[in-house]
Amino acid sequence: MTQVFFYIMAGIVVAGALGVVLVRNVVYAALLLIVSLLGVAGIYILLSVEFLALVQVLIYGGAVTVLVLFALMLTRTGELKEKLDGDQKPLAAVAALALLGAFFAMISQTTWPRDINQLTVVPFGDIGDALFNRWAVPFEIASGVLLVALVGAVVISMQEEGER
Amino acid sequence: MGDAWVLPALPIAGFVVLLLFSPWLPRKGDWLAIGLMALAFVLVLVIGRDVQNAIGDGNFHGVARSWQWSNIPGALEIRMGTFVDQITLVMLFVVTLVATMMMVYSTSYMHGDRRYGWFFAIVSLFVASMLTLVLADNLLLLYFAWELVGLCSMLLIGYYNDKQSAAEAAKKAFITTRVGDVGLLIGIIILFTQTHTFNIQQILHMAEAGDINSKWLTGAAICMFAGACGKSAQFPLHVWLPDAMEGPTPVSALIHAATMVVAGVYLVARMLPLFEVVNGMPELITVIGLITTLGAALIGLTQRDIKRVVAYSTLNSLGLMMVALGSGAVGAAMLYLFVHAFFKASLFLASGSVIHATEEQEVDKLGGLWSKMPITAPVFVIGAAAMAGLIPLSGFWAKDEILAGLYHGPIDHAALVLVLISLPITALYMTRVVLLTFFGEPKDHHVFEHAHESPPAMTAPIAILAVLTVVGGFVIFEGVGKALGFHSGWLGFVYNAAEGPEQFKVVWWLSIFSVVSVGASILAGAWIWGGAAEPSKRAAAFSPFFYRMSLNRFYVDELYQLIIDKVVLASGRAVAWFDRAIVNDSGVNGTGEATGYLGFLAKYSQTGKIPNYALGIVVGVVVIAIVAFGYRT
Amino acid sequence: MESVHASIPLSNFIVLSSILFSIGVYGVLARRNAVLMLMSVELMLNAVSINMVAFAVYTAPTFFVGIIFAVFVITIAAAEVGLALAIVLRVFRNRGTANVDEIDTLKW
Repeated sequence: MTQVFFYIMAGIVVAGALGVVLVRNVVYAALLLIVSLLGVAGIYILLSVEFLALVQVLIYGGAVTVLVLFALMLTRTGELKEKLDGDQKPLAAVAALALLGAFFAMISQTTWPRDINQLTVVPFGDIGDALFNRWAVPFEIASGVLLVALVGAVVISMQEEGER
Repeated sequence: MGDAWVLPALPIAGFVVLLLFSPWLPRKGDWLAIGLMALAFVLVLVIGRDVQNAIGDGNFHGVARSWQWSNIPGALEIRMGTFVDQITLVMLFVVTLVATMMMVYSTSYMHGDRRYGWFFAIVSLFVASMLTLVLADNLLLLYFAWELVGLCSMLLIGYYNDKQSAAEAAKKAFITTRVGDVGLLIGIIILFTQTHTFNIQQILHMAEAGDINSKWLTGAAICMFAGACGKSAQFPLHVWLPDAMEGPTPVSALIHAATMVVAGVYLVARMLPLFEVVNGMPELITVIGLITTLGAALIGLTQRDIKRVVAYSTLNSLGLMMVALGSGAVGAAMLYLFVHAFFKASLFLASGSVIHATEEQEVDKLGGLWSKMPITAPVFVIGAAAMAGLIPLSGFWAKDEILAGLYHGPIDHAALVLVLISLPITALYMTRVVLLTFFGEPKDHHVFEHAHESPPAMTAPIAILAVLTVVGGFVIFEGVGKALGFHSGWLGFVYNAAEGPEQFKVVWWLSIFSVVSVGASILAGAWIWGGAAEPSKRAAAFSPFFYRMSLNRFYVDELYQLIIDKVVLASGRAVAWFDRAIVNDSGVNGTGEATGYLGFLAKYSQTGKIPNYALGIVVGVVVIAIVAFGYRT
Repeated sequence: MESVHASIPLSNFIVLSSILFSIGVYGVLARRNAVLMLMSVELMLNAVSINMVAFAVYTAPTFFVGIIFAVFVITIAAAEVGLALAIVLRVFRNRGTANVDEIDTLKW
């Protein structure tokens, strides 16, 4: 049962990803991105980290996708009829496949740890505990980063005097 | 005798003062140079008396005095100082006397010349170096003085520095003697490595005792002899001496007749105990001397410049001295050196007088000057006769002693025969030059009209030298020696240290033969070149080949120039090509250009496009993964 | 539910993660539009997150640093996307194009 679920989710993820990189229409690409990311959320649920799935959907599905769509609109990507794929497409394919081959080789050579029978569910409270106790400093820094990103984004994309 | 170091110090002081202050001194300071030189001569006489007192009747091995020069314990402890023995004394006497005569002569000959003060300064320096050379007790000091003497010679040959030929002659002299000097230095170094001392007397003792490895000793001896050949213009390093006549005549008289060229003879005489230990060395010395003396005599028969003829006669004499040393006849060689200084210097100075009077040097333009130059002409004739070996002049006694030395000596008598052959040839060419210059019809009347006797400053020194030429040879007799205050004649005073004092004995048939042959050749010369000189022209036409060979000095100079062009300069060009094409263009420039070119090619990888750079990153990661992965398995 | 551990081996997740990563790499290298490139970068980041979380859950469930890591990755990714798109907008205003192929003034 879980296996089926896994393969479905995996299929969604991969299909969406392929769509992002292959389709001609940018809006379709953006929407397929959402699909793929939601598939990832499903994977997280499979792994019993529901918290992460939640965060994934919220952030990616909500904020990031909207940002991307706005950016696509503001840069008129859909209107300007240009080729979407770059000049080095074949090389890119080769590089990506080579990378994949390297990964597979490494994976097949590894001895994976034996399964354990009992699922250990990670208690949600412990995650929160750890986040604010043990990992407090990275947490604060992350919020600093967000602040900087926010301010920076505003500053960079501010319209100057007389600019269109 | 221990204070002999004062001797070189005097002319050195003269040199320094003249170099710095001569433009402001009255008469440019020539009186200072002459005064110091005369003082040095007087001191030599004092030293001579001291030496005589020290000898008494017994054996005398010389007096040495030295100072610490360098002191690196274990490695280099050198003492430098003076060593005075009879050979040294002879040289000191000759050098200071001829130098004084020559300086007095120069006050008139060089009068008004632009570099008058500098001339006296350098001559003073030369005399100082020459005195140091003969006084040196170790080879290093001798080498320093040797080089300094060569330098002064070069400076003085090139004295007329506005003449291209003078500059070239100076260069030729320096380079040719340099070839020999390298040999001398190598020889000195070899001796030092074998004996760990530079001191001459110590080296000689070690050589005689057989303490030096014979192969190294042979090498050192040959190398040092090469140095002597360079300085004394023996074959094949003789080519610079005739060209050295470009210098002023007093210079030729002092340096290239009486003093510097005999430095090589002095060296061989000093180191003779060492040379005699080496197998074949005496033979080598004899052969080189023979080639030099015979070759020079044959060349002298055809030369046209009066100074050249005297120069070749100098070569003739030097060769003879070397032959004498080859047979171990130190007394004979030093006697010849002694009298040769007088008559050769007088010949040169007299030629200078002729040149000064007539402004001409070629015998083609001279003739009949006997009546016009009443002092110069007889002086020249006396000098020429002494050179030829006419009895009872000094040259005869010296040559006779050399013949006796060859006869009694260890060398094969073929050498004696060759020397006997050279005697008449010498007489012949001296007769020729005398006849062509002073007798017969004047060939250029304009020159003849203007000829006049030279001023007293020039005629007095040459007259003194002529007197010495006449009487100088008599010191060989015991009676004369004792009358002068010495304990015996010349041969009892100056002798081969390995053999001991000798007695003067006459080899009657040799003496008679030489008298007869010299007399006959003088008469033959008078017939050939006297009057209208018809027979000489017939002789020249008889064998143009020999005439040309003689006139062109057996083409030795041309051979050397060919070697220089073909070998030295060609290798220079090859090396220059290598340096330019390979080291510079390919190596230095090439590396730079290659790097630049690689950079030129590499810049195309900077496309500025982000996807290209991202591809690079990914490819790099894949490569690292493969390498790490392959490593792991 | 039976233990996910028993039925799905860890390697499956890792394979999935690597496939997703490779697709993301292809997208970054092949796409011309800057925004599309950024979307591909998102894919890569997600692949990494799956990887970390899978390892954490399977091998060290009590020391769940992988999960924390994934949280931070998402956070930073969001921040970065915002900033990057701001830059893309700026570039678009200056150059009139969002094609990375045409932004190549820093070349030889």
